Amino acid sequence: MLDHVLAPHFLWMLWDGFLVTLAISFLTIIFATLLGFLIAIAQKSDIKVIQQLINSYTAIFRYSPLLPQLFFWYFGIGNLLPLEFKLWLFDEPQIELGIITIKMPSFEFIIGLVALTLYSSAFIAEEFRAGISGVRRDQEQASLALGFTWWQTMRYIVLPQGCRIAFPPLIGQYMNVIKNSSLTMAIGVLELSYVSRQVETESLKTFQDFAIATFLYIVAVAIVGTAGNIYQTNFLNRERII
Amino acid sequence: MELKGFEVIWNNLDYLMWGNLPGGIALTLIMSLSAIIFATLLGILLGVGLTLAKGGIRQILVVFLGFLRAIPIIMLIFWTFFLLPILFNIDVPAIATVIFALSLVGAAYIGYSVHAGMVAISQGQWQAAFSLGLGKKQVIFYIILPQAVKMMMPSIVNQWIPLIKDSSLAYIVGVAELTFVATQINNRSMIYPTEIFIFVILVYFVICWFVNFVVAQFLKDRSY
Repeated sequence: MLDHVLAPHFLWMLWDGFLVTLAISFLTIIFATLLGFLIAIAQKSDIKVIQQLINSYTAIFRYSPLLPQLFFWYFGIGNLLPLEFKLWLFDEPQIELGIITIKMPSFEFIIGLVALTLYSSAFIAEEFRAGISGVRRDQEQASLALGFTWWQTMRYIVLPQGCRIAFPPLIGQYMNVIKNSSLTMAIGVLELSYVSRQVETESLKTFQDFAIATFLYIVAVAIVGTAGNIYQTNFLNRERII
Repeated sequence: MELKGFEVIWNNLDYLMWGNLPGGIALTLIMSLSAIIFATLLGILLGVGLTLAKGGIRQILVVFLGFLRAIPIIMLIFWTFFLLPILFNIDVPAIATVIFALSLVGAAYIGYSVHAGMVAISQGQWQAAFSLGLGKKQVIFYIILPQAVKMMMPSIVNQWIPLIKDSSLAYIVGVAELTFVATQINNRSMIYPTEIFIFVILVYFVICWFVNFVVAQFLKDRSY
């Protein structure tokens, strides 16, 4: 019976991979939300050039797969970075943040984060845009008529309502970020999929290994989904009644 | 200097197009098309299943579809890569396992679209069809499903484009589609990665955009 169980050090490897998946997904979600939000606001601009730039940005990132994009950043842009920077990263420098010191993430991790963030921000911007355009025009006009400036109208009237509409699809995008983070294995980020492949070749217990990795992914996605649901029922919907 | 990079692409254009038969862009198109066809057919069946099934069977179906939607496609490709040969006791080629995995994922999403469409068809349609003496199968396949699929077509097409994009994941298991062929060329030339991958991204972009455009035109033409 014991033959079928994965040895503890394989379990620890998978756990470490899971933590890397969580870290890269979490950072991507934060950066991509900020960037996506800015893009969505910029899209409301009246200047034609900005609109067209942003439309082509979202189109090119949404209509091409993540994998070649990762290779583009890793092989293409990665090559253009100064060698000193890469050598410095290679030494695994520590960053001191007050009392705790954390290890500087690897070159692969940073590139993976950049690629994932840009890719996800296009989708997130699209959800924000849809949310904002879901706010009725009367709201904007009424607020302008009441003497709010355009910025105040956006800040106090349009955006709060738009974000509320955009919230459920945003949660879906956050789940996609977790799933997409698995692609960073292709450029050598030591996340869950990469590690599960490694454990498979070392332990030869494919079934148990994949089952654990799959379970961890489902847990991560389920946490995001439940957190989103709780937030929506307890905070967003209650506000609407008041 | 800029032009040299495009010279690499130009010199290898044949290889990027066809690979070692089959491969490259051609294989990407073949895989995407098969995944789209299988996913749509299976998705329609799943949609019917979700609408008709009750109790335990429905629970199992919902959990299975939830599972497919929750895990990364790479994990699913790993699973099919590992399980299909065991299940069928034959050596399944990597291309087939990827198409299988993509079809399952696509079907899971399309299934929910079709289900939503079938639920949205008014009760009157069901009642009228039944009162005309049609059997359950006939009602579903002649009356409800055609309307549901027609109504949900935009949503179904939205699931096709991820399938084209996700065919690039076949790279992971070593299928010589566009992304794989491009990395091969990149490894051989080593000097112009930026140009090569911009080219790859543009090719995917054109394919996806084209599919989107054609279907949008098609849907507009037969507006109802």
